[in-house]
Amino acid sequence: MSYSVQSSQASAVSAEVPAVAEAESAAVTQRKVIHIDCDCFFAAVEMRENPALRELPIAIGGESDRRGVIATCNYPARAFGVRSAMATAQAKKLCPQLLLLPGRMALYRDVSKQLMVILQEYALQLEQVSVDEAYLEIASHLNATEVAREIRERVRNELGITVSAGIAPNKFLAKIASDWNKPDGQWAVKPHQVDEFVAALPVGKIPGIGPAMEKKLALYKLQTCADIRRWELTELVRTFGRMGAVLYERSRGIDHRLLNLERPRKSVSVECTFATDLAGEEHCLAQLPQLLERWHERVERAGWPAAALAPFVKVKFADFTQTTLADSHEQASEQGFARLLKLALQRENKAVRLLGIGGRTPEIDRNQLTLF
Amino acid sequence: MKFVISREALLRPLQLVAGVVEKRQTLPVLSNVLLEVQGQQLSLTGTDLEVELVGRVTLDEVGQEGEITVPAKKLMDICRSLPDGAQIEIEQDEQRVNVRSGRSRFTLSTLPATEFPNVDNIAGEKTFTLEQGSLRRVIDRTSFAMAQQDVRYYLNGMLFEVSATGLRTVSTDGHRLATCHVAMNGPDTAQQIILPRKGVLEMAKLLTDPESSVTLSLSTNHLRARTENFTFTSKLVDGKFPDYSRVIPKNGSNVMLADRTELRQVFNRTAILSNEKYRGVRLVLDTDLLKVFANNPEQEEAEESVAVEYKGDALEMGFNVSYLQDVMSVLDTQQVKMTLSDANSSALLEEPEGGDAMYVVMPMRL
Repeated sequence: MSYSVQSSQASAVSAEVPAVAEAESAAVTQRKVIHIDCDCFFAAVEMRENPALRELPIAIGGESDRRGVIATCNYPARAFGVRSAMATAQAKKLCPQLLLLPGRMALYRDVSKQLMVILQEYALQLEQVSVDEAYLEIASHLNATEVAREIRERVRNELGITVSAGIAPNKFLAKIASDWNKPDGQWAVKPHQVDEFVAALPVGKIPGIGPAMEKKLALYKLQTCADIRRWELTELVRTFGRMGAVLYERSRGIDHRLLNLERPRKSVSVECTFATDLAGEEHCLAQLPQLLERWHERVERAGWPAAALAPFVKVKFADFTQTTLADSHEQASEQGFARLLKLALQRENKAVRLLGIGGRTPEIDRNQLTLF
Repeated sequence: MKFVISREALLRPLQLVAGVVEKRQTLPVLSNVLLEVQGQQLSLTGTDLEVELVGRVTLDEVGQEGEITVPAKKLMDICRSLPDGAQIEIEQDEQRVNVRSGRSRFTLSTLPATEFPNVDNIAGEKTFTLEQGSLRRVIDRTSFAMAQQDVRYYLNGMLFEVSATGLRTVSTDGHRLATCHVAMNGPDTAQQIILPRKGVLEMAKLLTDPESSVTLSLSTNHLRARTENFTFTSKLVDGKFPDYSRVIPKNGSNVMLADRTELRQVFNRTAILSNEKYRGVRLVLDTDLLKVFANNPEQEEAEESVAVEYKGDALEMGFNVSYLQDVMSVLDTQQVKMTLSDANSSALLEEPEGGDAMYVVMPMRL
C-alpha cells in the first residue's frame, strides 16, 4: 500500500510546476473531486444525542469565566450572530440564553471515524483534512452528483448528522462548492461552468486569502477572480510573491494539487489559555511543568522520542498579539522550553493569556531508502 | 587578578573557548569566560554545560593570582579589534575588569568565579594517547555523515569505538554511513561511546598540531581530550548506536573503478539540475561506461558519460547526489571503488585498495 502512496507523491511533485499547457491536458482526463464538510459537527452530534437541543441555541466551547471560546454552534445560535472562534463572553452577550456545552472529544472522534469509513467506500482516494472534513477523488465514470447525494443520505441515516458536499474538477472549487448550499446541501461546478463560476468569485473566497491579503488586493482594485485574470502572471508574482502564482491559477479555476493521502505529522503541540492573565516570567515558567506533562503524553502517543524534536513555544499576550519562537538547536526538554519561553517573553512586556509548547520533526524524502 | 599578555597569545585560545559558549544563554554566567591566573599560567574556560573547553597560556611574567568571569564575546571582540602585536593588560577591580592596551581602555562587567559551573569529575576512566593527526583524520573522514537534529538523537553525534588495537569512528544519518579506523594501543576492554555533534566539531578544531599527541579519557558519561594547551570535555549521548557492521555490504559483486576527480566533477555538474530538495540523480552502469542523469521540476536535464572500469551487470539506480559528492570530497586517492549489488541495495565506496575508511550510501527509488 505504501508503494502506491509514494508513486502518487512523486507525481505530485512534477504536477506542481507546469502552468497552462498542463491544465489543458488535464482537462482531457477530467478529475472528479468531492469535498465533504459536516454541518456544525460538534453541535450536530450533541443534538443527535439529545434531540431536545435542536430548537435551542447551543454551542460547544469553554466557559466565559475561564475565557473560553466557541468551537462550534448550531444554526439557532448562529441566528444571534454567534460564530465559531468567538470568545464565549461575547457570544453570551449576543445570545444570553445560549446553552454552552463543554464538548466530548472522544464521542466526536468516534463519529468522525464512522464518517470516514462511509466515505472510503466511494473514494478512489480519500484525504481527511480534519475531524469533520474530507476530500474524495472518485472514479471518472461515476456521476459525482449522485454519489454525493448517496453519501449525504447515508450519513444522515446511519450517523444522524448532516453534511454538505461540493463537487468539482479540483480541490479548490470543490471546497468552495461545499459552502455554496450549506447546510445539508450540495453544489456542483461542472467543467463547462468553471470559467463563469470562478470569474464572479470574490477573491476572499480563495482558500489562503485572508482578510489581510484581501485588503492588499483591494488596493489594486482586485476584488473578483475576473479582476485578477486581467493581470499577467509575472505582474502578479512581482507584486504578491509566491501567492501571485496561486492567484493566477485559482482565478482561472486551476488547481493541480492532488489529494494528500498521507500527511506525515510534522509537529505535536499543546497549549493552555489561563483563567486570568499571567504577569511576569516567573508565573509563566511555573506553568511549564503541567504543559510539559501533557505534551509528553501526546508525543508518546505519536511514538516519537521527545528529546529529539526541535522545540517551539507560542505566547499569546493579553491584547491577543502573539509570538512564536523555535530553535532547532535547542533540546525539547524542560530547560530548553524554559530558555525559549524566556526569550519569547522578552519580546513584549505584556501579561500573558495563553502559552503553548511543541516539537517538530525535520522533513524527510520518502524515495530515499534507509540503512536501518 | 592581574596579568599582561600579547594580543596574539590571548586571541587563539579565547576564540576556541568562546566557540563553545552559546550565543543565547539564560544562565548569564554561561555567556562568560572564566579567567584564572596561577603563577605564570593563565587558564580560560568556556562551557555550555554539555561541552567544556579549558585553554592554557603561559604568561611572560608572573601575574597576580585570582579568578573571575567576563563576557566571552565582548572580550574576544575587543581583543580582535586591537592592533597586531598589542600588549593587553587585564586587571580585576572589585566587581569590574579593566582591559587596557596602548591608549584604549575598557571596563567589563563580571560574575564571580564561584558561579561558574564545573563539569562533574570523570570517574572510572580509560585513558589512551594517539597523535593529533590520527584523531583528526578519523573525525574529518566521517563527520560529514552525522545527522543534524534527527529525532533519533543518538545519530546526532559520532560513535567512537576503542579497542586494544585501535580506534574506529562511525557516523550515519540513516541514509548513508561513514566509518574510519586508526591503529593504536588502546585499552584492554573495548568500549563504545557517542560524542554529540557539537563536541565532535569543537574537538576537531583543537587538533591543529598533527605530530603532537592528544590523550583521550573515556568514562561512561564523558569524553576528555587533553593536548598541551587545551583540555576539552564533553558529555556523551546516552543511546544505542545502530550496529554499523550490519549495514556494510559484504556481497556486492558489481565493482566499478573510476577516476575520483573526474567522477566528482561529473556529480558536481549533474547536481546543478537535480531537484533542489531531494537531489536525486540516476546512475546507469554498463560495461566500462557510467552515465549520470539529472532532471528537476522545471524539466531541465543534465546528462554525463564517463569512462570507468566495470564488468558487472547492467545497472540503473538513483542516489542523492550530495551523498556521493561528500564521499568524493573526503577521499584523496586518485581512484575510487564503488561496489554495488542492485538498485535497492546500498553502495559501498572506498579507496581502490580498501584504505582506512568505508562509505555506505543507500540508493533512492527512481
